[in-house]
Amino acid sequence: MALFDAMSIAGSGMLAHRKWLDAVSDNISNINTASRTSDDAFKERMVSVQAVEYGQGDGGVQVSGVSFGSGEGRIVYEPDNPLADENGNVKYPDIDLGDQMAELMMAQRGYQANATVIDRATDAYKAALALGKG
Amino acid sequence: MTSPIPGVSLAGFTGVSAIGGATSAPAASSTSGSDFAGILATSLDQLQSTQSKADNLATQAATGDLQDVHDYMIASNEASLATEMVVAIKNQAVSAFNEIMRMQV
Repeated sequence: MALFDAMSIAGSGMLAHRKWLDAVSDNISNINTASRTSDDAFKERMVSVQAVEYGQGDGGVQVSGVSFGSGEGRIVYEPDNPLADENGNVKYPDIDLGDQMAELMMAQRGYQANATVIDRATDAYKAALALGKG
Repeated sequence: MTSPIPGVSLAGFTGVSAIGGATSAPAASSTSGSDFAGILATSLDQLQSTQSKADNLATQAATGDLQDVHDYMIASNEASLATEMVVAIKNQAVSAFNEIMRMQV
């Protein structure tokens, strides 16, 4: 909608950050997922976004795609694991929890910032509508 | 939750278009085709579509089909703002009309 553009633009930012949150959540939930050494380990999910040019499109941001990290993982000696190979090794995803927590904070703060933009835009539009009421 | 206003329909604005016709008739050369009644009708159409969008999202929220929470909140926010705007336009128009009616002749 052209009239209250700031809100739909901030909405696209919220959508992008929500998908980022989903990806981080996926990565953290699978951080201890072991797999066979013959298979790929869980691949880190990375959301890539791009700007929608204001004037040509609606403005804002859109998710351009999801890319995956390496499935190489790290080999851990766990002979008790039912997925262990003949040498007693399993594969764990090579995801850094510290990185994921940092990304989680960035995604959360970005989501909140966009929500604040919507709040402020609503206030601003309301002020414009109250013009002339004395 | 926002719901469409059944009372506010374009049928109720025939009087306004009559006013527009009355004012545009003497000064036909100055009107560019978009008289006040047309503008009001367009904004009412937009209001209707905004409200039905918010309604659809509210239904999706109730049935569990809603993908994004903020989608509904933004749509209902937009619908309420658009309603406020159309009401403000209407109030201004009515007060202008009343001002003219109070004019001494």
